[in-house]
Amino acid sequence: MTFHQFAYRNVVRNIRIYAAFFMASFFSVFVFFIYSMLMFHPKIDNGFLGNVPIVWMVVAEIILVLFTWFFIFYSMKAFLEARSKEFGILLHLGMERKQLSKLVFIETIIIGLMSIVLGVIFGYSFSKFFFMIVREILMLEELPLYLSWEPFLLTFAVYLSAFVFISMVSVQFAPQRKIIDLMKGPKGVKYTVTYTKKRAYLGVIFILLGYCLAIVTTRTTLFSFTLFIPILITFGTFYFFSDSTQYFVESLKKRRSVYWKNSRMLPLAEQTFILKNNGKMFFVVTMVSTLAFLSVGLLSTLSSYTSQYDKLNPLGLVYKGHIDNPYEGTHISSLVSQLEDKGLSYHLTRFTVIKQTSSYTKYEVEVFRESDINSLLFSYGYPMVRLSEGEGMFIPYTEESVKKLKKKAVHTVLVENNIPIKIDQVYPKLIFPSSIVSLNSIIISDEDFAKLIKPYSGYPKVEPGYHLFTFDIPQWIDTTDIGLSIQHNVSAEYLKEKYLLPYYFENAGLNYSYILSTYSLFTLVGLLVAAVFLLAAGSFIYFKLHTNLEGERRKFDVLKRMGISDNELKKLVTKHLFPQFFLPWGVALSHSLFAFIAIQKILKHVANISIVKELIFAFLFLVLIQVIYFYLIRWRYISHVRD
Amino acid sequence: MPILQVKDVTKVYEGKVTNRAINQLSFDLAKGEFLAVMGPSGSGKTTLLNLISTIDKPTSGDIVFNYIKPQNLNKTELAFFRRRELGFIFQDFNLLPMLTVEENIVLPLTLDQQPVDVMEERLNTLAERLDLKPFMNKRPNEISGGQAQRVAIARALIHRPSIILADEPTGNLDSNNSREVLELLSKINKERQTTIVMVTHDPIAASFCDRVLFIKDGEFFNEIYRDDRRQTFFQRILNVLSLLGGGQVGDLSSIRLP
Repeated sequence: MTFHQFAYRNVVRNIRIYAAFFMASFFSVFVFFIYSMLMFHPKIDNGFLGNVPIVWMVVAEIILVLFTWFFIFYSMKAFLEARSKEFGILLHLGMERKQLSKLVFIETIIIGLMSIVLGVIFGYSFSKFFFMIVREILMLEELPLYLSWEPFLLTFAVYLSAFVFISMVSVQFAPQRKIIDLMKGPKGVKYTVTYTKKRAYLGVIFILLGYCLAIVTTRTTLFSFTLFIPILITFGTFYFFSDSTQYFVESLKKRRSVYWKNSRMLPLAEQTFILKNNGKMFFVVTMVSTLAFLSVGLLSTLSSYTSQYDKLNPLGLVYKGHIDNPYEGTHISSLVSQLEDKGLSYHLTRFTVIKQTSSYTKYEVEVFRESDINSLLFSYGYPMVRLSEGEGMFIPYTEESVKKLKKKAVHTVLVENNIPIKIDQVYPKLIFPSSIVSLNSIIISDEDFAKLIKPYSGYPKVEPGYHLFTFDIPQWIDTTDIGLSIQHNVSAEYLKEKYLLPYYFENAGLNYSYILSTYSLFTLVGLLVAAVFLLAAGSFIYFKLHTNLEGERRKFDVLKRMGISDNELKKLVTKHLFPQFFLPWGVALSHSLFAFIAIQKILKHVANISIVKELIFAFLFLVLIQVIYFYLIRWRYISHVRD
Repeated sequence: MPILQVKDVTKVYEGKVTNRAINQLSFDLAKGEFLAVMGPSGSGKTTLLNLISTIDKPTSGDIVFNYIKPQNLNKTELAFFRRRELGFIFQDFNLLPMLTVEENIVLPLTLDQQPVDVMEERLNTLAERLDLKPFMNKRPNEISGGQAQRVAIARALIHRPSIILADEPTGNLDSNNSREVLELLSKINKERQTTIVMVTHDPIAASFCDRVLFIKDGEFFNEIYRDDRRQTFFQRILNVLSLLGGGQVGDLSSIRLP
């Protein structure tokens, strides 16, 4: 048997031991290859995939590579640690250290090559499926499967170099242990407690402070806080796992009536050392899971935003101008001719909106005419409004406001012209996007509207009303390049301190295309990051468990002899595993929860959408995955320690 | 009425190579007796101890504890039986490294969910009797082998089992610590009338017992009772061992002719 054969047989005959390491490598190759396939796709011209700039995909791919390097390195270390007894025997029999490095190197290359080849094969067979999903998300015409050498070469080069490099580094830089220590098996856990009270408190305080800041975040403080909160949370989480948790368990252990009761002793004592030995790993897992949760949450948020966009913005183009707006005629005719050039059908409605003072609120109210509104409603295909003299109707500004306004009944007088109006109904659907109408808008009958002769009391300081031109366009997605010059002026004016233009323009199709491209970007990048991070977070814990399995088995042998029933053994295992799985996740979940409270507040302000439902759904899904993963590991673990 | 009866017990390990580890072995154990089981390597000592520990079942024959037949109990009942009726002492102590000394001692009681004041009371009496007070709050890796074995004995005693099973309790100890541990065991045996079964290789350890049972290739070989002086008892044990072991008195060489 040659040396190479020995290494080869080591791998092939112990495939079960190598399986965990193999799976981790295989999956990262798989994901990497699929993304490379997308990156090198011949349909991608000008560096754009649909609306997504390819640069961002390259960045995501680089992050992925860095992370998988770290990941392979970590699993390699855990894997070598678990095999220390075997290495001890080999060294005992007279193997040189150099030969041992060579052995590990050959074995790693064998596993590496296997995982690369299989990962690429599986990746290639799944890439058509992946392309189909991408095509749906990005709404591309087609994204066919192709065969070219670039993605293959890239994957092979990146991963082969990773395996070569990591296998050399991990053996060379591994701390040299004496043969006698190696023979005793994995280094096992250290049984001394190290925490300081100060840092224990600091960890909790930092996290709570971060949460409080997240709760009080508003739009103005957003930017300063987004710098500050992650730093607080990162340090807080680190101290939390290195000190706070240990402090908590230790102080629990001081109370015998709690600690010694109901077979709590063993699981509690174990937790101290699990926390102590794995504090850093738990910290990494928590931060990584938080990032994964955030990207999943952002995805679901954006998806809800894009799907609601249609409803929130019922109009294709909106042009709003002062009564005496000098550009009105030219702008409207240019918009109309552009629409006609593109062959888009539209329904143009012209509104004259008059401002009046309401005696009820003492503030201004924007008054719309019944027949103007009906003209628009007709093109929407919504039910018409019928109002008689003295009656009024609220115009809802958001979906939620419909419910609020429904309960309201107001008797008011339009002060300037002394017209009494009774408002006790609300139009049940959103007519205008919320950026166009004010919170206080009503519809009155044509007869009453005709009586509005005297202008708003604030005139001429404040504009007495405005003209509104609405284009209802069934194919509103295609209006991206209509009115670009007006849009340009408007957005330039927005950057100035004060908005002085006599007109305002909104193009729903154009806005939608921006949102859609951000969404697609997040989907592509976020899915990748989330998938790899979640997998990695789970694997870290798995490797750690795998390394300590031998010691655990010995412990359960003693316990079984002493007499614990099968049920109690299962309970013990559950108590042993549960905190390791759910503490980092729980903390990550609560981190992301507070992050989303902040985001929700800002979104509510800016875009007026609620992300609660989507987030709950996404998080429930994540918890479900984790629970399944937990039971899977628990099942394997129990069957390992039982016999 | 003996506390433990072993009746015609046979244990066969089936596998690729069938191995008869215990063959038609019978003996009784009276309450308060201190029994040593001796025999050369591979004679079935550990198998016998495993059978008595109920973690293994005999192929045929009966083992009866005080009218209870563990073979007839289900797994959970067996676990409860071991937890309450049996105490274990191991060669390599098997103290759990994450627990302190006192926690290791009360472990059997916490598994049985006893109230905390019972635990504390028993712990205190045991700690005093076995002289464990100075290192009650240390961890197993911070104490010497002799101390660790004393802790293990305390753990085996705390739930007041009817039989203590010891597997080479002095195997990892130097002569001083061995003597200490053995004297402790025999003191416990005298004072509390605790029944002890000890498997050992060591004739000195066996000489502390009331009776020594010799087995060879899984079969009963001989048994001798203690007399007044330990010295002569030790001498007699050595005599039997010389018959049992290397001497091969009146036997053919290990290569048998056809």
